[in-house]
Amino acid sequence: MAIQTATSRPRRGIAWWQAPLAIAIVFVALAPFVWIGIVAISPENAQFTRQVEYIPSSVTIENFFRIFEVSNFGRAFTNSLLVASSVTLLALALSIGASYAFARFQFIGRHLLIVSLLLIYMLPSIVLLVPMLVIFKTLGMMNTYPALITAEATHAVPFAVWLLTNYFAALPRDLEEAAQIDGCTRVGAMLRVALPLATPGIIAAGLFVFIASWNNFLFAFMFTSGDEVRTLPVLLRRFIPGESGANWGPVMAGSIMTTVPVAAAFLFFQRYLIGGLASGAVKG
Amino acid sequence: MVAGSTKGAALAARRRRFDPLPYILIAPAVLLVLTVTVYPAIYAIRLSFTDANLVRLAASEFVGLQNYEKAFGDERFQLAAWQTLRWVVVVAAAQMLVALPVALFLNTGFRGRATVRASILIPWVVPTTVVAIIWRFMVDADHGVINDILVRLGIISQYVAWIGSPLPAFLIVSGAQVWTGFPFYAVTILAALQAIPQELYEAARMDGADTRQRFRYVTLPLLMPTLLLLLLLRTIWLAHSVELIFLVTNGGPGYSNYTIALYSFLMTWNQLELGYPAALAIMLAVVLLAASGIYVRVIERARSWM
Repeated sequence: MAIQTATSRPRRGIAWWQAPLAIAIVFVALAPFVWIGIVAISPENAQFTRQVEYIPSSVTIENFFRIFEVSNFGRAFTNSLLVASSVTLLALALSIGASYAFARFQFIGRHLLIVSLLLIYMLPSIVLLVPMLVIFKTLGMMNTYPALITAEATHAVPFAVWLLTNYFAALPRDLEEAAQIDGCTRVGAMLRVALPLATPGIIAAGLFVFIASWNNFLFAFMFTSGDEVRTLPVLLRRFIPGESGANWGPVMAGSIMTTVPVAAAFLFFQRYLIGGLASGAVKG
Repeated sequence: MVAGSTKGAALAARRRRFDPLPYILIAPAVLLVLTVTVYPAIYAIRLSFTDANLVRLAASEFVGLQNYEKAFGDERFQLAAWQTLRWVVVVAAAQMLVALPVALFLNTGFRGRATVRASILIPWVVPTTVVAIIWRFMVDADHGVINDILVRLGIISQYVAWIGSPLPAFLIVSGAQVWTGFPFYAVTILAALQAIPQELYEAARMDGADTRQRFRYVTLPLLMPTLLLLLLLRTIWLAHSVELIFLVTNGGPGYSNYTIALYSFLMTWNQLELGYPAALAIMLAVVLLAASGIYVRVIERARSWM
């Protein structure tokens, strides 16, 4: 039934058997998210009854304000934004030049470095957790932004280099060579010719890094202890062990506000991202 | 590039040999990786030979291979090792079983496919903490939708605290991981399906192959490298992931959902222990390095520029 029927181009219509399947797939993917959306707009009293309300009797947005009162949500949002942006900028700044060099130059150690980078990318985070804890404690860096940013850069930089090297390698060299014949230096050809052409790849790499950093829990959890540096995933974690009568409404509102920025960025730029997904080196 | 005279060519060749530009370009990234990843990794190996604890760091002593020997007599470690295997096999297989049909279905093409593809990728961008909150809420003992549905269907008579029992807890965290992980699988498989040349299907059709045969002898063999690569990548990633298990079950009830990675993490988090957790993490990394090595070899062959 769902077996390959040898066409990859979307057909104009949708067959009788395709529609329900398509709806079922979208339902499985989105129903849990819709469900917490419903809870987020349900008034508080509905959550104390020991009963599930699928369609809220009344709708409210107070939960979206409550989460700012019951937790330091605003601060955590700023922290997440700050850390994820810094990690993204750092990863892009370091990886653009490196990936261009890997894609365009033959030099001693090139192959070894690429392979090492890939292996390092696949190193378990927990291997780095223990030594980083000691290093950050010794340097007095616990509970600081630089600690979070460096910890997350451990995966972000190898990933961005790998994705962008793939991207640069797929770009034709002709234009850069033509620019050099016209008197451009090699660095000039890289900055003025290759870089603009690589913009979609750079956007993709930047977004993947941003999303990964925004969502990162492990490092942010280990290296923060107070609200000053705490990011959204760490803040929200406090609400998970939901004892009886836990106030789910604000938690769900907070969860939605944590997810919407990355989900929106993803949907807006999905054109760029799906190509990057297929290149293979993405976690998930 | 080639200069007119032999002297110029020799010069160009020498310049190529000593060309500093690529080294200048890679230096910042390499230096960062050396300081934030390679150095800590080596430091982790050193710590694994000590009895270090974060609260009495100065008093830590070299204990040789003791931490590694300890693991083999540690019942909790053996349980965690078996549970790591269970976690990896169950989740990787379940994700594949969901993702492959979804990808095959999306590949049949229909109006609105792009919308379906985009919406199934949403679970993939949801932060792990939010995934944990959603799933814990769905199985909540008081407000859980799962309880409500099961009661309505008459399967259970009253609400159950599912997360408090070992097997349900495992199934819940596995379900959450499958939900958040299958989209990436499906989209990658879809990309591989779309890369299969149409001529092959036409040729097979002319040879009289029916739909099933075309799948068996054209689609499957061409898809296999992608499927194996995905499974390998997923195995590595699942084996060292701790976030979702920690957030959903905290490894419990009891030790029933401990994995090696989680065991290492919780020992550091709860007891500020460093030596033994480092040894556990390194043993895991060494095992996974073999898998990573295979992965890199495969990638190497697929990328001509490497």
